Amino acid sequence: MEKAPKDTINTGPTGDGINPLDSIRAILLADVQEGLGALERQIDGLQRQTDTDKVSLQQQLEDILVELEQLRKKIQKDAEELIPRVAPELGNMIGGAIRDSRDEMAEALGPVMGEAIRVQIRNSRKDMIEALFPIIGETVQRAIGEFAKELQRNIDAQLRRSIGPQGFLRIVFARLRGIPASQLTLRDALPFAIREIFLIQHGSGLLLAHYHPSKDEAPDTDLISAMLTATRDFVHDSFGQGEAENELDEVQYGDQRIIIQSGRTAYLAVVITGVEPEGFRSRMHTLVSEMHVSHGIVFKRYNGDSTTIPNLRPKLAILADEYADVEEVAEPLSRGTKLALAIGSLLGIILVGLACFYLQFTIALFPLAFPSDTPIAMPTATSVSTLTATETSPPTFTATPIFTPTDTFTPAATFTPSFTPTPIMAVAAGNVWVRPEPDYSGDLRFTVLRRNTSVRVLSVYGLWMEVEWQAENGLQRGWVLAEWITLLEPVLADQITPTQIP
Amino acid sequence: MTTLIQKKICLLGDFAVGKTSLVRRFVEDRFDDKYLGTIGVKISRKVITRSYGQLNLLVWDMTGGEDLDTKVRMSYLHGAAGALMVCDLTRSYTLDVFEGYARQMRTLNPRVPLMFLANKVDLVNERVISDEQLWSISKALGGQSFYLTSAKSGESVETAFLHLADLIEEKA
Repeated sequence: MEKAPKDTINTGPTGDGINPLDSIRAILLADVQEGLGALERQIDGLQRQTDTDKVSLQQQLEDILVELEQLRKKIQKDAEELIPRVAPELGNMIGGAIRDSRDEMAEALGPVMGEAIRVQIRNSRKDMIEALFPIIGETVQRAIGEFAKELQRNIDAQLRRSIGPQGFLRIVFARLRGIPASQLTLRDALPFAIREIFLIQHGSGLLLAHYHPSKDEAPDTDLISAMLTATRDFVHDSFGQGEAENELDEVQYGDQRIIIQSGRTAYLAVVITGVEPEGFRSRMHTLVSEMHVSHGIVFKRYNGDSTTIPNLRPKLAILADEYADVEEVAEPLSRGTKLALAIGSLLGIILVGLACFYLQFTIALFPLAFPSDTPIAMPTATSVSTLTATETSPPTFTATPIFTPTDTFTPAATFTPSFTPTPIMAVAAGNVWVRPEPDYSGDLRFTVLRRNTSVRVLSVYGLWMEVEWQAENGLQRGWVLAEWITLLEPVLADQITPTQIP
Repeated sequence: MTTLIQKKICLLGDFAVGKTSLVRRFVEDRFDDKYLGTIGVKISRKVITRSYGQLNLLVWDMTGGEDLDTKVRMSYLHGAAGALMVCDLTRSYTLDVFEGYARQMRTLNPRVPLMFLANKVDLVNERVISDEQLWSISKALGGQSFYLTSAKSGESVETAFLHLADLIEEKA
């Protein structure tokens, strides 16, 4: 608003000569000029002030620098005195840093840890061994435990497969030594032992019953049962994901295990070492069920008053005894029983021997008791029987010729000719019909033995001779009258069988 | 044979109110001012000789200030015969969790006796919770009394635990 009149005034002096406007301007601007002058003076004053301040600030800065320098010198000088004062604080600070920022500290310290351990081992080996021994020992123990468990499982499997005569004999001998078969198997396969048994109420973790092999009650059983319950609850709530059926059924610690079998209102926890035998869990289940049947309501209502529950220790002891170590419970057979068993075995052996003898005797005498019409059966029987039988044989026994030096078999009572193992050479005295049997009644086969044909006499039957010769169509055989055969070598009298059955 | 009675009691309260220190004072009669938060639950036992025989108090010392709705908490409270609720006199908000804990305990057992403990009474100058506040909250939650305790000096600790044991025996 003020500018408008000013512009008007400024645009005004376009004319010349006496300008009344100048005087008006002088009058109007007098205040302004005066103001301007005052401002200029003020600015000058400020300028001077600033210069003064600047100098003073510079002075102050210099003073501070001097002081700093002095401090620096003082710190350097007092460094040795400061360190002991700062050291405890540093310890706390490092402790705090480790607590508050573990990850960063681990990151920072990690790279030097290996080197630090190496240096420490080099410098004080014994100390390091002592420090590490518990860890290494435990690790090795655990590894061996695992290995042993695996081995036992394998042995179990093998035992199941190798039930045979050998296994049976082993069991018999073990039984004679006083060890029942089932326990022998157990002892061989499993160093299994029950350490403790707990019966614990669900929820509260109150101990209902406890069994320990020693007579003295183990300490802290109530704490163990409470903590085990808390652990079970924790695992169930953390990993069960709402599935009511799933429960913690085993806890392993080193070579010990806690096997848990849950019932409706209480659960059974058995502390064992080794591998439990087959059927152990189902046995536990049976025990829990039995106890629930008889005491289920008592378990449920139990409020910590030990007078309200029966003594269940004997029931737990039964389970422990069933699976107790073989040496502890096996009752060796008494002296009397062993003697009786030995006498029994001896009598058995004698009886078997007598039975064998009787059987043999019966077989030997059978032919005499029931003589056969066909003597030909005899040689067969005699060949079976031994010479002892011959002694008792009656004189009618016709086996004797068989044992003649000539080895000539006795001709049978029938037509069966005797057989000469060593044929006698001969020649045909004339042309003669050859018959199939030493009999005129037999059919002629229209075979003719030519005169002077070389033949071999195979056997002789009365006036007949069995001969064999080489014909044009192969080897021929047949019977001819002895008179037509001229023997080339003599026949001994004993070579001719005298018997001829009409 | 002397009568043996076992009772489970729970110790509930916000973080760092001194639950574990109270148990340590009660069971071992000692105090350690280092703070180590309890994870999950820590169980201790105190054997008290009574006229009828022996009372074993199994004290379940729980993690402080855990979310009340988690199932872990609920399962730890099962079968408890009584509970001690602890607040810190120097922090007024430690009273806030009492109602939730009391509700949980009553859900599981409506007749369960509850005992209220206001801990750290030795820190006189830092106290921010008045007796009137404690009275009103313990009445509202069905408690009969409260104790001003100090795990550090041992003041009223055993008295409070034994009073709870009496209440449990009365209910039983």
